Formats: sequence, structure tokens, C-alpha cells
Amino acid sequence: MDFEVTPTSHTLAAYRARGGYQALEKALRELKPAEVTQTVMDSGLQGRGGAAFPAGRKWQGINLDDGLPHYLIANADEGEPGTFKDRWVLENTPHTLLESMLLASYALGVRHSFIYIRGEYDHPWRRLAAAVEEAYAAGYFGASILGSGFSSDLFVFRGAGAYVCGEASSLLGSIEGTRAYPRNRPPRMTVRGLYQLPTIVNNVETLSNIAWIMRNGPQAFREIGTPKSPGTRLISISGHVVRPGVYEVELGYPWGKFVHEDCGGVAGGRAVKAVIPGGISSQILTGKAAGIMTANDPDGLLLAHEALAAIGSSMGSGGMILIAEGTCMVRLLQIMLRFYHHESCGQCTPCRDGMGWMHRVIDRIVNGQGRPEDIETLYQISRANDGTTICGLGDAAGYAATAILDNFRDEFEYFIEHKRSMHEGRLECL
Amino acid sequence: MPVIFINGQEVDTLGHDTVLKVALAHGFHIPHFCWHPALSVAGNCRICMVELEGDGWTDIACNMPVKAGMRVLTDSDAVRAQRKAMLQFILLNHPVDCGICDKAGECALQDYHYEHSGAPRQTPDPKLHTTKFFNLSSRIVLDNERCILCSRCVRFTREISKSNVLGIENRADHSLLRPAEGHSLDEDPYSDNVIDLCPVGALLSRDFMYQARVWYLEPAPSVCPGCERGCTVNLWRRKPEWRLKTLDARQNERILRVTPLENPAVNDYWICNWGRDMAKWLERPRAEQAMLKGRAVAIDEAVEAARALIQAAQRPVALVSSAASNEELEAFKASLGDVFDTFVKSDRVAADGEVIADELLIRADKNPNTRAAQALFGTRPVIFPEDTDLVLAWGEGVEFGELPRGAKILFMGAWLLPENGSADVFIPLSIQTERRGHYTNFEGVVSGFEPVHERPAGVADAETLLPRLASSSEGAA
Repeated sequence: MDFEVTPTSHTLAAYRARGGYQALEKALRELKPAEVTQTVMDSGLQGRGGAAFPAGRKWQGINLDDGLPHYLIANADEGEPGTFKDRWVLENTPHTLLESMLLASYALGVRHSFIYIRGEYDHPWRRLAAAVEEAYAAGYFGASILGSGFSSDLFVFRGAGAYVCGEASSLLGSIEGTRAYPRNRPPRMTVRGLYQLPTIVNNVETLSNIAWIMRNGPQAFREIGTPKSPGTRLISISGHVVRPGVYEVELGYPWGKFVHEDCGGVAGGRAVKAVIPGGISSQILTGKAAGIMTANDPDGLLLAHEALAAIGSSMGSGGMILIAEGTCMVRLLQIMLRFYHHESCGQCTPCRDGMGWMHRVIDRIVNGQGRPEDIETLYQISRANDGTTICGLGDAAGYAATAILDNFRDEFEYFIEHKRSMHEGRLECL
Repeated sequence: MPVIFINGQEVDTLGHDTVLKVALAHGFHIPHFCWHPALSVAGNCRICMVELEGDGWTDIACNMPVKAGMRVLTDSDAVRAQRKAMLQFILLNHPVDCGICDKAGECALQDYHYEHSGAPRQTPDPKLHTTKFFNLSSRIVLDNERCILCSRCVRFTREISKSNVLGIENRADHSLLRPAEGHSLDEDPYSDNVIDLCPVGALLSRDFMYQARVWYLEPAPSVCPGCERGCTVNLWRRKPEWRLKTLDARQNERILRVTPLENPAVNDYWICNWGRDMAKWLERPRAEQAMLKGRAVAIDEAVEAARALIQAAQRPVALVSSAASNEELEAFKASLGDVFDTFVKSDRVAADGEVIADELLIRADKNPNTRAAQALFGTRPVIFPEDTDLVLAWGEGVEFGELPRGAKILFMGAWLLPENGSADVFIPLSIQTERRGHYTNFEGVVSGFEPVHERPAGVADAETLLPRLASSSEGAA
């Protein structure tokens, strides 16, 4: 998203000045819908919401000739702890998202599209709502857009603030006005989604790449990043880091360089004990495994989907959390499990009862009443959640817990034996 | 028809079925809590896991469409382990108070725990406590601690009874079943079905609460006499070997509860709340004494008097009960049909506050056998001829003041009513739960009922009584 953030970069005028809506005009004039999908396929764009599923493949699940209305939804319910990159897009360049959604709507035959934005995002919603009004006034939405005969309308839907609403099928329930429970697959959402009609749900950042791809061509997109993960990623880094914030990083960028040079490393010059690469549902890595313990760690990993997948983690939602040496991992797990317990929607058995169980066990350990077998209990609950829940959030909580237990088992054993933390229960940045 | 393999055995399917339906239909029992054949698939209990042979993938059977040639295992190691884990989760905060739970003995959780897990609770943490004895309606008590949140009851009120009164509040293990704000389950005339639907003892009937352990009871198939739908029901009475030693013999004669008897031709899995209360209706005070003008006589003397009345009558009119069984109506037709000018009368009309009719089950005609009676005796409205000199009134719903003046009254009924004494001849009859018979519902479906207990001495069966009335002397009968 090559542009500089200025006080007006979110406006239509500024967006047009940097070439905005040209790709839309060109596509409406010259391209067939299937060609837009093909371009996205060729670009190799992967989903930026967490699962890194190829966006083009998802789109091909829609049958353009079925005669049914289709829906497109931008998932702006950015609930994953540590993640705040979509917020940056919505605040600074909402028109990129709008143009991309128009292109996607054209490609998928969508008459009505939605942006599901979380209720807590007030400022981003104001910016977005203003941008939608500007775009309507300029004729980019509504009937026969730019005289092409293609019509599309956009609704901005504000959620009421539940982590589970970020799960795509549960988000549909929220829009429909029912309880936001994730839905069982099959049927897939591309077969029966919103109002039981074919639906595509994409992350805000995934969609926002499309305007760039259409403007510059899939080849230019593939030239950025690595062969397997092309393009850039927005990474929101937080935790014990000197310069937290949202960074756009080319995939394949050296991780150590990103953390220590661009973000200024850990406050107080301490080493990186661990890093959560992409929201707390992605598996935690030790600083050593990621090769980013210190600025001159020699075997640093590259920031790319395949590199992280190779060591059993993922780039997830791009919400990176840096954890400095001297942090208590037992307390960290307690905070994570408190979150999962609070946010479990309570629909299916393993997550509904398992999250509360894990939370009570970790609370007991932190209160000094842990038993040696509690570690095994946490593992058991995590395993019982693996693949048995309706949506992915139950599995993810289990993966997150097992990753911390695998890597820092000694701290848990120490806590249980001595009834106190190895690190005086420290969590905050010194 | 696509063929699939369950535990290696070849099984025929209808193309659109799910694995769970096919497995149950072919005798492979897969445990399930939230799935019910009449409700939508919720897939939230996660206990009906099956394994796809080969790739080791497990998924819930209730939401797994059959694909030709698929091979599923219902009892592999992975499946057993997951089942056990799910039971461990469900029982984590369940009070396991089976000793005082009315559901014990027919509780799915109890059965599955015995069959598939049996493991003790693994954590020293105290159980979460929530509401017990939540007042869901005047008929139903909710125990949230026992609730496993399978959402069957919620889906029933949304999809079947369409009252939409139930929902689940809060999240995670704080989730609670609650009525919608400002509403109560009292609004739902089918509410008691959620008691049967509940796989555990969370929803309990106030009527049946602490009345009996279910293993002391046995069901007798019967038909609800509440309206012309004729829903098939089970009437639960004590098993003979478990009779109570009690001074009040009626304790052992009681119908302890009424549950629907599954019947796709009439009422599926449901009955209405009136049907649940039919025991109260059937246990009203009975008439057990034959009378001549209010003077108690032996039943044979009353029959003799009735026969004399019929033979002396010049213009006899009969009001036939539309709550009589097919057999009784045919007996009347055969023996007295030629003698009487016969009309069909309605035995019962809707009481105050009773639902008149709706789209699910309840019908406006509150008699169980109107169709059979009208098929035999026509649909003419009751109009007494000028010179009527005898009225045979059979069953309830007769207004004595409206009968022709001067006509003799021969009354046959089952209940203790003030009118009984003013009839010239009164003969007490048996009721539905004391005899065998059939009703024909408004759609022509014939359903049978069995006796639940013996009839009192001094009460006649209409089926045998009517031929006796017709014969010219006792010896000919």
C-alpha cells in the first residue's frame, strides 16, 4: 500500500491523487468478472486473517452461473489479541478497501456487500462511514456504477463486540440478527452462507491488496515477497518492544532485522524470550527458535508463511507480541486462558467446558495450589479440543496452550513446586 | 442408492441422509445428545463422532452427508477416546445427583456414561453452581446445573411449537437456558414436550416431580381423548410387581404420567399440554352405582328397567357419544340402530382458556371419535321429533333441561354428575382406561388403546351392555 500517512490520506481526493479507483474503472470497462478472479488467482494472494488460505481458490468456490444472489463480506471484526492492522487500514486508507470490495463484487457477481466492523472500533468506523458516503456521492456505489451497468451496494454493519464474531460463519449469524454461533460445515459458506446464499468472507487486509494487484498486475505482486508467499503483510507489533505499531513488511524479510532494527528491539536491551508471531492463537515461539533473541542472532528466520509453518507456527493474523527475558509464562498463559474462557461462545461442549476448566486449573496454579498432574490435565484438555469443536477457535486455544507448555514446561513445574513464579510473576515491561 | 460401509458392513442409504441417520436405522448405535430426528442439526454436543476409515479424520455423524463408498468406523480407538473426553467435559459441572433426579433410569447422560466412559472426575476444582429450581412455567421446573446445553428445547420452541420462548443466555460455561425476556413457557401449549426432549434431567414436570422412579413404571399404549386428532400416547402406571403397600388402593391405579407415543401418521413425537393432563381428566369422580330415578339399584335391575323402557317406547331418540370407541359404536348400530332415531352428539367442548385449534396438533372438535360416529349415524344436527317419548343419552354433554318434556330418559355415563339421579334409568359405564378399543381420528387413522387398570365393580362395558338392552328378554342376550 505504497503511500505516506498524512492527515488527509483517508479522503477520496487523496486516494484518487495516488491512483485510486483507476483499477475499478479499467476492470468495469475492459475485464470480464472471471478475468478479475483469474488475476487474483495468478497473484497467489493468501488470506491475511489467520489461515493463509489462497484467496483466489476461495473465490472459485462461488458458481457465477447459479442464478442466486451472492454476498461478499469484509471481516473487520479484528478480535485476535495483539492484532490491530485492519484498524490501521480502516483509519488511513478506507478507500483501498472500498475499491477492492467493488472489484471483488464485480468478480463474484455480488449485488450487496457488507463490512462487518467490531463495535469497539469507533474512530475507524467514523472514517469508514465517511469514506462510504464519499464513494456513494462520487458514484462508485449504487446502480450502474460509472455507467457500466454493474450495480453494487455496501452496508457497514457494526458488531457488538464478541471474539467469536470474527469467525466467518458466526459473523453471518450476527448480521442475520441471530445469536452469533459458528455454523457446522458442511455446507461451506460458498454454498450456503449469509441468508443461506453463497457468501465469501475475506479479511480486510486480504481484500485491500486487490486494488493494488488489479492496478499493477499479478506479476508485479508476485515479484514482492517470496515465491510461496507473495506480497507484503501488515504486522502489528506490541508487547515489550521499543517502537510498537503497524508495519508493512515484505514477506521474506529477515525477522531479526525487523524486530531489532525497525522496531527498536526489546526495551531495556533485554533478550527476546519468546514471540507470539500472529495473534495469541498462533503457536508461541522461543526467541531462540525464531532466531531473534538478540540483534545479532545469526540464524534468524524470514517472515514468510512457509518459514513459520516449517517450525510449527504461523503468521496468523499478523499480531506479533514480543516477550522479553524475565517474563513469567505461567501468568501469560493465565491471561490467555482467561481470555479464551471469557470469549468461548458456549455452543459446543469441548470449548464451552474445556476453556473454563483450563482457566480454573491455571488460576489454581497461580494461586499456589497447583498439583504436578495439572500440566498433564492442561495437555489433555487441549488435545480433546483438537478437531472436535465446531469452529477453529477451540482448536486454536488448545494449540496456544500446548505451545507454551511445550516450550516453558520448567517454569510451570517450578511454579507448582515452589508455589511462586520463577520471575516474580512479572509481565510488564521494565 | 449409494452404498456406504459402517464398521466394514455394507449399508444401503438414501442419497440425502446423514451418517447418523443411516447408522441408527441399521442398528449401529452412535451416542447423541443434541440430535433429534424431528429437529434441525445443531451439532453442539460433539459426542456422535465417527472416524473416516483410512485418513483417521473424525467428525460428527449427525452433520456428515453420506457419500457413495465412504467407510466410517463408529467404535475405533480415536472415536472412543473422543467420546470419553466429551463425557468428561459434560460431567465436569454436572451435579450427578441421579439419586434424586426424576430422569434417572431414562437419562442419556447416565446411560452413555455407564456405557462409554465410567471415568471418575479428574479435577479437584469445585463444580460451578448455577440456578436450581428455576421457575420456567407453571408446569416446568428448570435445573440449570443439570443442563448440558444441547439446545433441543430451544430448537423445539423455534421449529415445532413456534412459540420462540426459550433461548440461551451468556457465553461459555456461564451459558444458561432462559425464557425470552417478558415471556414464559406458559405461553406454549406444547411446552411439556421439552421434558421428553431433554436428554438429562434439566427440565422437569411439576406434576411428575418426585412421584416415582421410572423403572417402577410401565407404559400402556393409549389414545388421547382430548380432540379429534387422536394422538397416540403412553400412559404410565406402576408395574404389578412394584405395587405400593398402601391403604388407598387408588394409589396403585393412578396414571403417573402421560408421554407421547411416537406415531408419524398422527402426532410424530409430540402431544399438547392438555394431553399431558388427561390423567386428571380421566381421574374425575366416577359414577359406580346404577340408579332408577335416583334410587340405587343393582345393575341388572337397571338393565331390566331400561329394556322395558325401550320396548314400551313409540318414538325413541338416541344421542350417541362421540367419545365412544369404534367397537361400541358398531355394537350400538348392530343392536339398537334400527330401534332408535339416532343423532351424534358432542361430548366435550373447549373449556375456558383451552386452545381451540392450531396448526400443529390441536383441533377444534374436542371429541376423539366424531368421524367414526358420523360415518355410522350421519351428521344431522340434534332435532327432537314432536312426539319423542324416550331419549337414550350416552356420555357427557347432555343438557337435561333441553330434552323434550315428558320423554323418559335413559342415561349412560361414566362420571359422577348431578343429572345421573334425575334420569329414569342411569347405567354407569367404563372409561377408556378400563377397556380395549379403537378411535378413528379426523383423517381416518385408527389407533387402539389398551386397558390401564381394571374397571370398578358395578360398572358396565357399553360394548356388552348395548346388545343386552336390545334383546327382548335377558335369556336371549
